[in-house]
Amino acid sequence: MAILQQIKVPLISINDTSLTVVDILFAHGALVKMGDILLVFETSKTTYDVLAEIDGYIEYRCNRETDYEVNELVANIYSDENEVPEKVVIKYEANKVFSKNHPSSDETMPIWHGQTFFSPAAIQLMELKGIGSAAFIGKDFVSLEDVMQLGKITKDQEVQASKQIASLPVDMEKVIVEKLSSNKKREIAYLSSVQSAGLTSTINTSVNTDGIFVHINQSLKHLKNSLLPVFIYESARLLQKYQPLNAYFTGDAIACYKEVNVGFAIDIDKGLKVLKIANTSTKGMKEIEQEIIELSNKYLDDSLHFNDLADIGFTVTDLSAEGVAFFTPLINMMNSAILGISSIDEKLHRCMISLSFDHRVTEGKLAARFLKELKERVESYQSKYYPLLNQEIGCFKCFKLLQEDLSDTGFVKCITPKGEEAYICQSCLKGF
Amino acid sequence: MLVQKINHRLIKQALTIRTVEEKFLSLFSEGKLNGTVHTCVGQEFSALAFAGQLKKKDFVFSNHRCHGHYIAFTGDTRGLIAELMGKASGTCGGIGSSQHLCNNNFFSNGIQGGIVPVAAGYALGNKLKKNGAIGVVYIGDGTLGEGTLYETMNIISKWQIPLLIVCENNFYAQSTPQSVNLAGDIRARAAAFGITTFQGHTSNPEQLLHDAKVAIEYVREQTKPCFFLVETFRLNPHSKGDDDRDPEEINNYRARDFLHIFSKDFTAYYDNYLAAIHKEVDDMVNSILPEPEQAMDAYYQPPVSDHNNNWRPLIGINKRQVELLNNFFKQQIVDNGRMLFLGEDILSPYGGAFKVAKDLSVLAPDKVFSTPISESAITGISNGLALNGFKPFVEIMFGDFVTLAFDQIVNHASKFHHIFNKKVTCPVVIRTPMGGKRGYGPTHSQTLDKFLVGIDNIKTVAINTFFDPAIVYDSILQEEHPVIVIENKTDYGKKILHHQAANFVYEINDAPFPVVKIKPVVSVPSLTILAYGGMADIVNNILSDIFFETDLKPELIVPSLISELPVDIIIQSAATTKRLLVIEEGSAFAGIGAELIAQVTEQMDIKIRIKRISAYAVPIPSVKTLEHIVLPEKERIIQEIKAYF
Ligand SMILES: Cc1ncc(C[n+]2csc(CCOP(=O)(O)OP(=O)(O)O)c2C)c(N)n1
Repeated sequence: MAILQQIKVPLISINDTSLTVVDILFAHGALVKMGDILLVFETSKTTYDVLAEIDGYIEYRCNRETDYEVNELVANIYSDENEVPEKVVIKYEANKVFSKNHPSSDETMPIWHGQTFFSPAAIQLMELKGIGSAAFIGKDFVSLEDVMQLGKITKDQEVQASKQIASLPVDMEKVIVEKLSSNKKREIAYLSSVQSAGLTSTINTSVNTDGIFVHINQSLKHLKNSLLPVFIYESARLLQKYQPLNAYFTGDAIACYKEVNVGFAIDIDKGLKVLKIANTSTKGMKEIEQEIIELSNKYLDDSLHFNDLADIGFTVTDLSAEGVAFFTPLINMMNSAILGISSIDEKLHRCMISLSFDHRVTEGKLAARFLKELKERVESYQSKYYPLLNQEIGCFKCFKLLQEDLSDTGFVKCITPKGEEAYICQSCLKGF
Repeated sequence: MLVQKINHRLIKQALTIRTVEEKFLSLFSEGKLNGTVHTCVGQEFSALAFAGQLKKKDFVFSNHRCHGHYIAFTGDTRGLIAELMGKASGTCGGIGSSQHLCNNNFFSNGIQGGIVPVAAGYALGNKLKKNGAIGVVYIGDGTLGEGTLYETMNIISKWQIPLLIVCENNFYAQSTPQSVNLAGDIRARAAAFGITTFQGHTSNPEQLLHDAKVAIEYVREQTKPCFFLVETFRLNPHSKGDDDRDPEEINNYRARDFLHIFSKDFTAYYDNYLAAIHKEVDDMVNSILPEPEQAMDAYYQPPVSDHNNNWRPLIGINKRQVELLNNFFKQQIVDNGRMLFLGEDILSPYGGAFKVAKDLSVLAPDKVFSTPISESAITGISNGLALNGFKPFVEIMFGDFVTLAFDQIVNHASKFHHIFNKKVTCPVVIRTPMGGKRGYGPTHSQTLDKFLVGIDNIKTVAINTFFDPAIVYDSILQEEHPVIVIENKTDYGKKILHHQAANFVYEINDAPFPVVKIKPVVSVPSLTILAYGGMADIVNNILSDIFFETDLKPELIVPSLISELPVDIIIQSAATTKRLLVIEEGSAFAGIGAELIAQVTEQMDIKIRIKRISAYAVPIPSVKTLEHIVLPEKERIIQEIKAYF
């Protein structure tokens, strides 16, 4: 029961600080014999075969055609098959900077749909002035100077904002005044942005959680018995359909986010923060869990990047660990809705979920439909549905998976032209 | 009494040489001649024996004392006189004058010893062309002190290069008698390299002419080098009035001088010949005197710096730089008839210290020369090959060793075209890796490019990791003048445009030696950075950090031609950013940053903030931590930007 051999990137020549894996000769987890070639590196001069020094089960921590630094761990051999961890997918980071019709000189300003980077000085001023990242849509980099430029235009807005936090009289004899921390001030500004208009409502429903973790825990590694990942996962999928809940009120218009970036609220001694799971609708439950953990760690180490906090369109706040029966979550700045998860009532096998939404952007009916669908999707993880869901049911025509389907009507069992049993989705059955 | 049987045609030639040189001395004292004159009075038969007995297709390389060799080989007395009189009709337009002559395979240069490897290269070129031509290189006995001579003797013997070295031993080097500066035996020097040697004396021209012919035939027929020691005596001062030798000694030699004896024994002939030659030379001088000098603009035109502003996006290549270099050379060595590849340790399977030459010697064994450790000679040989029409690529194993080839670069390659008044070109290519971060230590890590970019009329190019180095090398193939290419040890293993900083655009212009520009996709940049070669790769990797840490939006400009910086492109950027930073891997004093900043300051009419970040002025330490402190690195770069801008 041990790691028998660790394979690190060797220093083959002083000229190569990184080597490329050009070939991987076994499947992840396969049994390898001493002397087998496990993988092949390429240097600037030659190729280099890595041999197994012992029999065992191989864990690959590398991908083909990818470069690894000297001394990086690229594979392990384990004594026991079950010890081999699942394959870590290391994504190759390549930035697509160019669109096809890239402008070739300075004259025309390209239109930028990519992410925006904020310098720490810019962030500081933005926070101070309550300027949201949306003000810089279409920008590549935002420096202090950029924020100051914008500040000039929005001077009036700033005056208004400061008026909103009008101060009340204090009698020092009767009260002890503790100055608000800048964190708290920021939080107030953040929340009052939507709430201060007074046009929000909250609707609630309960989710039957009986046997729900049997299935969910299969997909989770660390956050066992937590509903947060599944709510984020399912909300993200639904938000593609419920656009107004992934939007915000600009003052005279409604801005809808193009991407689904669900945030989750966290508050462990370091102030309330909402952390972003970027492109949530494209991620699986495992990835979401992984990101929740990574982001929380960054939050705790104070190593969050501004991008971890920016451009969140919808928030989930999970108070299930706090023993609450139900609560009214407050909508964050530049959001139109927030989902609250209360604690599971172990006797009744249920959990309350609450959705607060901004009437200026959407209305009760749509919010209610969203909440109902969300409830049903999450309940479908209950063990009675489990065998079915676990089969990866897909439409035989368009290969869409049941999980991916947004029609809320399910798939139809059918016989294919070849006479085989299969499933077909509603779109393929009825036509678009 | 004279017992020699010498053709009177030769006597007249010797007399012509003597008359012309003596005319030079009198013209000089009349103020009609500029500069210096080293006469060979007393040594004329050495010129006639070797230069005079070669075929037209053969060649001669000579030194400061070259007039006799020139007349003997080319017969062009008029061109020589006009040259020394500084006239446009001179053999080199008056540019080269006495020590720098060039005409139909005749070349001379005033650097002792330096022409020997060049001559060897020229001879190697003839051997490769299989044209049956051979050559002579003249040196004086004082030049036996130059090391490059011995590097070359080793190579010509090893490679069987048909070159005849003629050592004119007049027992003096300028003012110094041989007893003061020469140890050992002269012929034994050549013999030690396995080179056949001969010996003769100008006081016995008949024997000398005969033996010279034998030596020439030996070189031609055996395709082997040969060393001929000619004992002789110069009857005039080293140059003009600088003679401290004992008059007695000179008189003794004068008494043995063949022309002197001839004048005594055959006075009528002698006087007759001399009068005719005098008249001929005087007439020439008189006709040359009113001639015009070469106009300055025929010699030099100020360069027009107009950089290319057509930018297109850069595309990454999933190949390491060294692979692309190797591919380029593998293809060219097979396809390009002119290309040759020289360097230390380049034979397969080793393929050079950094493997750029991998497999070349297998693909084209006749065109790839693995050389002894002789940077000076191999660069000189490459110069000679280039003068002879080849496109030699010489690899200097480490950039630090380029100093050993400096004479060949500065005094030979860079000058030939101009001193020979544009009659020749020297398209040699010298490649060498520089840069640290390998722990190789003080003598294998230094970036010495600032010494190279200061050499006029040589292009110095630094390749980088942003585009295929073949683009640069293709342009180099088109160059007819010398190019030095600085590669970078740490870049060899990197892939082309492997890292693209997010939110930056990568562009390249279509200049032959392209400039790369990396700028924010939409933002107007607020800091112009110039970096090149290996440093550009380092800066590229920290562009985002620079923004996050300094709040400045960088625009990185990466030139590849560093001996002619894209000042207008830099000014264009700096005019907007008002901040210019040069980051270089060499030390700052009198470096490339200094040059760039001087030019920018001269040309910009607004004041901007300017800074250099460079290596500290110490040899690069081997120990990793110190090495990473001495060379500019992320932390220091960011810290200095923060502190300054
Ligand atoms: C590399 C170099 N060092 C020094 C000189 C200066 N210099 C010119 S001629 C000469 C003496 C050369 O002596 P030798 O080789 O015996 O030739 P000779 O003048 O006797 O013909 C010297 C020192 C030079 N031209 N080149």
